[in-house]
Amino acid sequence: MNVLFGLVSAMVVGATPILLAAIGGTFTFYAGIFNIAMEGMMLVGAFCAVLGSFFLHSWFLGILCAVAGALVMAGIFILFAVKLHTDEFLTGIALNLFAVGLTTFLLRDIFHVKGAFTDAGIRAIPAVKLPLISGIPYLGSLLSGYNLIIYVAVLVTVLSAFVIFRTRFGLRLRGAGYNAACLSSSGVPASTIRIWSLIICAVCCGLAGAYLSLGYVRLFAENMSAGRGWISLAAVILVSGNPWGIGVISLLFGFFDGLTVFLQGGRIPTQFTAMIPYVATLVSLYLYSVRKKRRQA
Amino acid sequence: MARDVLIDLQHITKVFPPDTVALSDVSVSFEAGEIHALVGENGAGKSTLMKVFYGLERRDAGDIFFRGAKVEFRTPREAIAAGIGMVHQEILLIPEYTVWQNIVLGAEPVRAFGIIDVDRAREVVRQKIEEFQFNLDPDALVGDISVAARQKVEILKLLYRNVSVLVLDEPTAVLTPQEIPQLFAELARLRDKGHTIIFISHRLDEVLTLSDRVTVMRRGKIVGTSAASELTKEDLARQMVGREVLFTSRRQPQEPGEIVFHAQGLNCSDTEHRARLHDATVEVRAGEIVGVAGVEGNGQFELVNAIMGLAPMTSGTLEVKGKDITHADILTRRTLIAFVPQDREKMGASVAASILEDAIMTHHILDPRFRTWRGLGLNYRHAAEFVDQIRDQFTVSMGHSSDPFNSLSGGNQQKVILGRELLLETPFVLMDQPTRGLDVGSIEYVHQLLLDLRSKKRAVLLVSADLDELFMVADRIVVMCQGEVVADLATDATSREEIGYYMLGGKEVAHAETGS
Repeated sequence: MNVLFGLVSAMVVGATPILLAAIGGTFTFYAGIFNIAMEGMMLVGAFCAVLGSFFLHSWFLGILCAVAGALVMAGIFILFAVKLHTDEFLTGIALNLFAVGLTTFLLRDIFHVKGAFTDAGIRAIPAVKLPLISGIPYLGSLLSGYNLIIYVAVLVTVLSAFVIFRTRFGLRLRGAGYNAACLSSSGVPASTIRIWSLIICAVCCGLAGAYLSLGYVRLFAENMSAGRGWISLAAVILVSGNPWGIGVISLLFGFFDGLTVFLQGGRIPTQFTAMIPYVATLVSLYLYSVRKKRRQA
Repeated sequence: MARDVLIDLQHITKVFPPDTVALSDVSVSFEAGEIHALVGENGAGKSTLMKVFYGLERRDAGDIFFRGAKVEFRTPREAIAAGIGMVHQEILLIPEYTVWQNIVLGAEPVRAFGIIDVDRAREVVRQKIEEFQFNLDPDALVGDISVAARQKVEILKLLYRNVSVLVLDEPTAVLTPQEIPQLFAELARLRDKGHTIIFISHRLDEVLTLSDRVTVMRRGKIVGTSAASELTKEDLARQMVGREVLFTSRRQPQEPGEIVFHAQGLNCSDTEHRARLHDATVEVRAGEIVGVAGVEGNGQFELVNAIMGLAPMTSGTLEVKGKDITHADILTRRTLIAFVPQDREKMGASVAASILEDAIMTHHILDPRFRTWRGLGLNYRHAAEFVDQIRDQFTVSMGHSSDPFNSLSGGNQQKVILGRELLLETPFVLMDQPTRGLDVGSIEYVHQLLLDLRSKKRAVLLVSADLDELFMVADRIVVMCQGEVVADLATDATSREEIGYYMLGGKEVAHAETGS
């Protein structure tokens, strides 16, 4: 029983950063932006979270710093890809490379360490005991006691599905992706919608980053996003942006991520267990394309 | 009936840098509650004038008055807010959205928190559809409805925003002949409800049928405005082109020579094994123009592809000048066949390439004078001379030969393609809709070119959806229906009615009658 609970909890924990980044990515996906900068936004968010939490002595200010950092990245993306019409793919690559370089440089410059910075002064985001539910046996330990950001992520997912499919903003957002010229000629500049989608994406990635460095662990390590931004991109494309689908896929990746941690104690070399989430990504992409082909035939 | 002047454009001038004068001191006024046609050849400035009015283009001089007050629309949004809406040539809708979603997009009725009030939106759209009798389902996906219905959605989208003036840029260009009367009835109904309609077109019959008044433009200037009831098609054409345009045949009697092109029993099927061509047999003699008529999609396209070797045939033989080309590769066919395809921009040319590059296609392979260094290099001097030859011989108005092909107007693009193909000096010429989308002047030019080919004893196969065109230039007309050649008639001994009868499957009807 405990193993099961442990696995479920590891799954949820592993799924959260991917879920948040993918929900952010789904907004830009619907707005018709080929946004691959989630990885970079998340990494900068993770670094800024540690920065804010350590110097301002508050996990909450740490989260705000993470969001602000990701927003700066989004600002650069907006300036280049939306305003100056550079290629979105190249802009995304540049931002992701920039994020690795910047955070590594600042890590050494500000904290004078190489590899990772960990300190008792970093305030972690607290776990939340849900009232009422936490008292129920089994269900309590299954649903309660997670990190605050995990609940935020669930809320964000539900909210995003609502915003995208039920609201005026959602109609315009999807319109920007389907046919930007049509939206613009309807009196809503598509670029405005795209800018908003990038801002929302940055907020989500900032939260994801804050979770990585202040929730998942309590440290910042070089390149600690470790491809989660890319996996979130795969998740978005796999389900064509549907937030519920993203939730399922994220849990799946979270499961494999949790499996990695579980199997580390065993006889399998860690290099192999660490591969699991990425191999799972490839396998799911393959299965998806096979299924799609079959449906077309 | 005197109406009030609603829109007054005064001395509008528009210059595209560096020195292309698109509109030169244009003054025209539109009255409330009229259908006013704006006609002219391609490039006469009709669309530009309306774009200036609508806030899509800046003007260099002139004033715009709307309801007596001087106005300045900087964006279409401002024009719509003032009650003016424009439907562009290319339909701009979201196929993934339903009709009502497309209509309300940008002006959605909402409840608290920006949640779309779906019930109200659908109700308002349904009311508008009923009010104007547009016969649309508000819940249908736009991707599933016909082009004509999409156009209605575009118009409704503007009516939903309560515009009183509608500007329609060539609305019939995307419609089939059967859909046009319905659109006209709807536009007339809008006018009767007090809307003002400005209708851009270069199809003369339509202009005369639909509009109350007509303004003709030529080369960025106004030629004149008159009541449609006082005009004839010939008047309009003369005003548009600036000279007499002939709508009657100028074919000189001429005995055709030997058989140049012979297609025997062509069959081909599509990927689902449905027959697209069934035992099609066509022959063309030297000095003869044979027209191919038919409702679109009855095998004409497949016939053209089969002749050019672009699609595999299941059986049949093709001969040009006695040479069997049934299995010949495309390059061999090109030494015998000049080919002007239907789709200028996709098949006829590469629009992003330069005029020179488009002009020497095929020639640079077949003609060694275009090559240097044993075929490793291109002889650009010869190529440039060749472009000059096309320009002079085919009166192309163009900039430098290194300019992109799409810097040319539609008529000039077609002239470059015609020049390239006809200078191949082949015995057989295959033309698929060579005048589609061209203005009156260019159409007349192409027709003259066809007749010149005829007198030079070339064999021409002309596929056209325009019966007038076939009657004007063709010696014989073959009619295709469901992949079969159902009739082969001498032009002088047939009528439009007879052709139309065969186009709609008359052969089967005739068989049934004799059978019973």
